Amino acid sequence: MYKQLTLIIIIGIISSSCIAQTALQTLQKGIFSGSFESYAQLYKPDSKINAVLPQDRFAANNYLKLDYAYSKFSLGLQYENYAPAIAGFPFVANEGKVVNKYFKYTDKNFAVQIGDFYEQLGSGLVFRAWENRQIGINNALNGVNVYIKPTSFLAVKALYGKPRKVLDYADASVRAADATIDITDILKSKGNTNITTGISYVSRYQQYTGPDPDFPATVQAYAARLNVNSANTNLSVEYVSKGKDPHDVNNQSKATGQALLVNAGYTIGNLGINAVLRSMANMDFRSERDAFGTQLPVNFVPALTKQHDFLATNIYVYNPQAMGETGGQVDIYYYCKPGSLLGGKYGVNIAANAALYYGLKPSAALLSVGDEKYFHDYNIEVKKKWNKKWQTTFGYYQIFYNKSVIEGSIIEPSINSNIFVLNTQYKYSTKKSARVELQHLGAREDKGNWAAALLELTYAPTLSVYVSDLYNYDKTNTHYFNFGGAYTKKGTRFGASYGRQRAGLYCAGGVCRFVPAATGFTATLTTTFNN
Amino acid sequence: MRKIFFVLLTFLVTDYAVAQETLPNIYVKNLLSKQVLFSDVVKDLKDTVVIVDFWATWCVPCLNELEAISDNYSDWQKIKPFKVLAISIDDARTKNRVNSLVAGKGWPFTVLTDENHDLKRALNVNDIPHTLIIKNGKIIHQQTGYVNGTEADILEKIKAIN
Repeated sequence: MYKQLTLIIIIGIISSSCIAQTALQTLQKGIFSGSFESYAQLYKPDSKINAVLPQDRFAANNYLKLDYAYSKFSLGLQYENYAPAIAGFPFVANEGKVVNKYFKYTDKNFAVQIGDFYEQLGSGLVFRAWENRQIGINNALNGVNVYIKPTSFLAVKALYGKPRKVLDYADASVRAADATIDITDILKSKGNTNITTGISYVSRYQQYTGPDPDFPATVQAYAARLNVNSANTNLSVEYVSKGKDPHDVNNQSKATGQALLVNAGYTIGNLGINAVLRSMANMDFRSERDAFGTQLPVNFVPALTKQHDFLATNIYVYNPQAMGETGGQVDIYYYCKPGSLLGGKYGVNIAANAALYYGLKPSAALLSVGDEKYFHDYNIEVKKKWNKKWQTTFGYYQIFYNKSVIEGSIIEPSINSNIFVLNTQYKYSTKKSARVELQHLGAREDKGNWAAALLELTYAPTLSVYVSDLYNYDKTNTHYFNFGGAYTKKGTRFGASYGRQRAGLYCAGGVCRFVPAATGFTATLTTTFNN
Repeated sequence: MRKIFFVLLTFLVTDYAVAQETLPNIYVKNLLSKQVLFSDVVKDLKDTVVIVDFWATWCVPCLNELEAISDNYSDWQKIKPFKVLAISIDDARTKNRVNSLVAGKGWPFTVLTDENHDLKRALNVNDIPHTLIIKNGKIIHQQTGYVNGTEADILEKIKAIN
């Protein structure tokens, strides 16, 4: 009996070590990869800009992501640590947690993901689970996501999960299904045109315990879309219909919601034109009824305006109005080839953009244009390369900003602003270059005149340093001075800066949050590792 | 949930007969909005050196980098043949601009779109621009960020590949 037991144990040890060894060998065949990102700030008192000093003068957002992939399988996790979260972040947190875990099998015509996943249906107007660390959005679902392509012309997605809420999960669940049909494939048409159509269904459930017997605890939304793409033209249309969804943002209204998004583009030679039209009524869609701001979105309603690159052009930025707006934008890109009349020896790039948004009529009918204007941005940028060393960009921007609507504040006058930017780059050796930005913004109805300047010196591919000042020389007489630098090596970047941060809307990826006025040090570290 | 995880982990570990693939099986779209598997796109390029460049229409350093590579493209091809996959991470906010912007640039690149950042996430890219140099499905070098002149370093890196 004793001998038998010993034998079994020995066999057990040998076989399990063999399995362990095989497992290890197999694991080594796959790839480990990961990334780390840290954003830390140390705040200083600064009464000039009314900076409110946080209780903890140090704050840091840290993200560690680890993935392992072998053949068609992958698994991974994301650890987040807020020590505590930086000032102005949409949530208060002072802890660390493994917030995302997933296991995924991916094949050409079949994929399944268990755990936390991101997904988007259509353009996201009906559903998007995504991550934006700068803004503090992560509405990944925890559940199951399946993708099946049973035939060459049909692709189906089905998913279910609980949305992430800060470091936990929301008190809600989201179910969705989506089908994309490839019309070109059905017609067996050959050539350069691709036509697809799709339909989506999304439902969100949050328990309701109140007295209303007809209260919609489950909110349903449907979407249909059509895309036509060819070498020179593209057209896409998407329509969303959302059921009754009383919540805090719409003042418990039982109205239904609609959205229409149309995009058309045409390119010929060096000319590209694109036009977008979007109208929305009652399209604020969240997984919990008392959420607001950037919290717990189900759908994705970004600002369809041009995302600007300069200090002065990022003061009056549009915040989309999902509760009701009609508007759109037109983009024109033109490249004057070298040797042409305008092109000179090295060519000229011209980019023009016009965006215009209005509220809906009191009937809140889709596509109606109300009396109240929300925003416009008419701008042109011309980039000219003078020779191998010098390059200049000139920009002019005329922006109308309805402050009361966009910032949801008390009635304040709307703002008209005119902005000029001159950006000059000088490459004085293969690796060294300097860049100077000069900017001016005038906004009579608000804080008056601003001037901004930036000097950046770079040494490729590793070093860059900059010094900048955004100066209100008119009503507030305030400098927003900043200086900093970055060191980059392969997949790693370390940056450090010191200066003032202006209070206002901070927008990234078409989503905005308010950031408080702050002064202090900022350090960032990002790294990517792949084997 | 935990049990399912372990069952799948065992499945993963015992599935060692399958050949190794080092690049993720992730769907991206081409400029005709047609889905293509990223791993297939790279596989089709066989043993050619591939520069995978993550960019967006709103990212100035990204456009500077792609323009610099484009300006040097024909000269560099004589030194070492390579292909460029320019992966746009523009989402619904700006993706409609991709086609018209690309038309105005005349880039000799294959442009693909990664709208919900599935590929960006799978390759653990934090910030853009982020450039990967790939050969035979293996990542040989990567560089985050771009300043004037970084392209010379990319050329050095691709020259060093056998």
